[in-house]
Amino acid sequence: MKLATTMTVNRLTDVVWEIPKTEKPGMLVPARIYGTETILGAMDAGVFEQVTNVACLPGIQRYALCMPDGHWGYGFPIGGVAAFDVGNGIISPGGVGYDINCGMRLIRTDLTLADVKSRLDALMTELFRTVPAGVGSKGFVHLSRRAFQDVMRNGARWSVEQGYGWDSDLTHTEEEGCLGGADPEHVSEQACQRGIGQLGTLGSGNHYLEVQVAKNDRVYDRHVAEQFGIHGDDQIVIMVHCGSRGLGHQVGTDYVRIFEKAMKRYGITVKDQQLACAPYRSPEGQNYFAAMNCAANMAFANRQVIAHQIREAFRRVFRQSPEKLGMRQVYDVAHNIAKVERYEEKQFLVHRKGATRAFGPGSPDVPEPFRTIGQPVICGGSMETGSYLLVGTAQANAESFGSTMHGAGRTMSRAQAKRTIRGATLQQTMAERGILVKAVSMSGLAEEAGIAYKNIADVVESVDTAGITRKVAELLPIGNIKG
Amino acid sequence: MGKSYRFREEIVLGDLAFEVTGDTVSELCTAAALAVIEAMVDPLSVETNWTKEVRLSEANIEDLFFEWLNAIVYVKDTDGVVFHDVRVAVSRDSEKNLWHLDGTLIGDRVDVTRQALRTDVKAVTKHLYEVRQKEAGWYAHVVLDV
Repeated sequence: MKLATTMTVNRLTDVVWEIPKTEKPGMLVPARIYGTETILGAMDAGVFEQVTNVACLPGIQRYALCMPDGHWGYGFPIGGVAAFDVGNGIISPGGVGYDINCGMRLIRTDLTLADVKSRLDALMTELFRTVPAGVGSKGFVHLSRRAFQDVMRNGARWSVEQGYGWDSDLTHTEEEGCLGGADPEHVSEQACQRGIGQLGTLGSGNHYLEVQVAKNDRVYDRHVAEQFGIHGDDQIVIMVHCGSRGLGHQVGTDYVRIFEKAMKRYGITVKDQQLACAPYRSPEGQNYFAAMNCAANMAFANRQVIAHQIREAFRRVFRQSPEKLGMRQVYDVAHNIAKVERYEEKQFLVHRKGATRAFGPGSPDVPEPFRTIGQPVICGGSMETGSYLLVGTAQANAESFGSTMHGAGRTMSRAQAKRTIRGATLQQTMAERGILVKAVSMSGLAEEAGIAYKNIADVVESVDTAGITRKVAELLPIGNIKG
Repeated sequence: MGKSYRFREEIVLGDLAFEVTGDTVSELCTAAALAVIEAMVDPLSVETNWTKEVRLSEANIEDLFFEWLNAIVYVKDTDGVVFHDVRVAVSRDSEKNLWHLDGTLIGDRVDVTRQALRTDVKAVTKHLYEVRQKEAGWYAHVVLDV
């Protein structure tokens, strides 16, 4: 098999590969990559370089991981997972990403494709009007500084208390939409200024809001799907992908700068400046953790407000209440985050960058309704091909720090995608295939064409075969909003 | 060498990398700013109804260049603007051992109906970050998170 690296890569199973710690000076643990042979063969050189750089970070436990949707990022690869000892390990903004708590939310409905088809244009127009997207977009929620601090402390709970959502949304959100230890004192004035006007906005790039269909032949585990509220029969669901907007971006920027200086004091060296880090227990590490949790809570609040706007848009188009339309939340889960979690009686700080928590049945952190089944995992594919709903497994807890994939993963640069197809052409061909796209930016639309991504079915197959999640249902797009 | 920038598509697939050159530090900062601006919008589609002055001082060029690009990203979000052009002058105060940048951002409020918006720049990263003086001028390499 030809790989984009000269490093030794050993096959552990058909879908798990290991780079021994002898492959790069400074590696403290091996690096492991999940993926079929085809997926591994298609991975770019940056993945191998970056996952082995992560394996050199102080306090890393067991192995540095990369999920099958992995590709070259900055610092950690996208798809990277690494756990650090909370006593002598580090925390790194490069292991979280600038879009702190970028994540996915899925809302189910009682509507079917037949109910929606004739009103799809009106629905997408209303959603496009209601949920701001794109460069420089501002939200409809106007916040005082004090209220913004409440958002940072209380996350989605703040949104629900303001009337933007239902109590049941919180029980169907990771950490009930609010991470503890969030302290706005450690968030800079600049970060507040960037984020305060952006609550309820999607952003751009690969962020989206999508109306999807659950078809009977794409429901792979009917029992679990029904527990999650998905019954097939051309059922309509809505998926949202976005994060903490400018607040998170600025928190990341601020703390990379702070950690660069701190590393000198703590005698830490890293293979990539973007892996700037500090001991988790240090004042700098704790301050970043407090600020990161603020941004994560802003992201939960952001997706909560967007969910409210979606329900209101459906209410206007279908002239029925969201309750009557059965618009219950399936789940909301982060894929850019660092969290303290317990594995085999030890606490680790688990970094997930483009990777999703995937706790199995019995885990106390899985919401009560799903505790005997496992945690829902929402994976966004390209806007042309579809997305997946998976379920966490005990094997994930044992093997991958309770983590799995987050999406399809890019295989093509943005420029190459734009050279391959024009945004307007893509919009038209997708419409001909029954997928209505509303986009702020036509060039941004072209960058997100399906051809720019791996085949998500292959990515899902990798984690399903590995046993770190199981396939529940595939969700096919019929309408998409992009920034 | 001259003032120029070139996006590098062979690396960091989901993000945007570019390299930039200039005969002087001022040219380097100007060219890099134009690359960041162009990532966000077609500058020709943006009017010139809005300007903002940016003044920065840093002990070294690496930090000055980095903070300058960060300032553009920051102003984009806080003022809700995109940019048409930029003017930059960089000088050195040998006595205080500081580099100074005087920049002017020229553009307009975001308006999706009139502007060819592209992608939101989230941050200027330190991945493969490089600023150095070459025999014929200045060179920098930047990766943007988009």
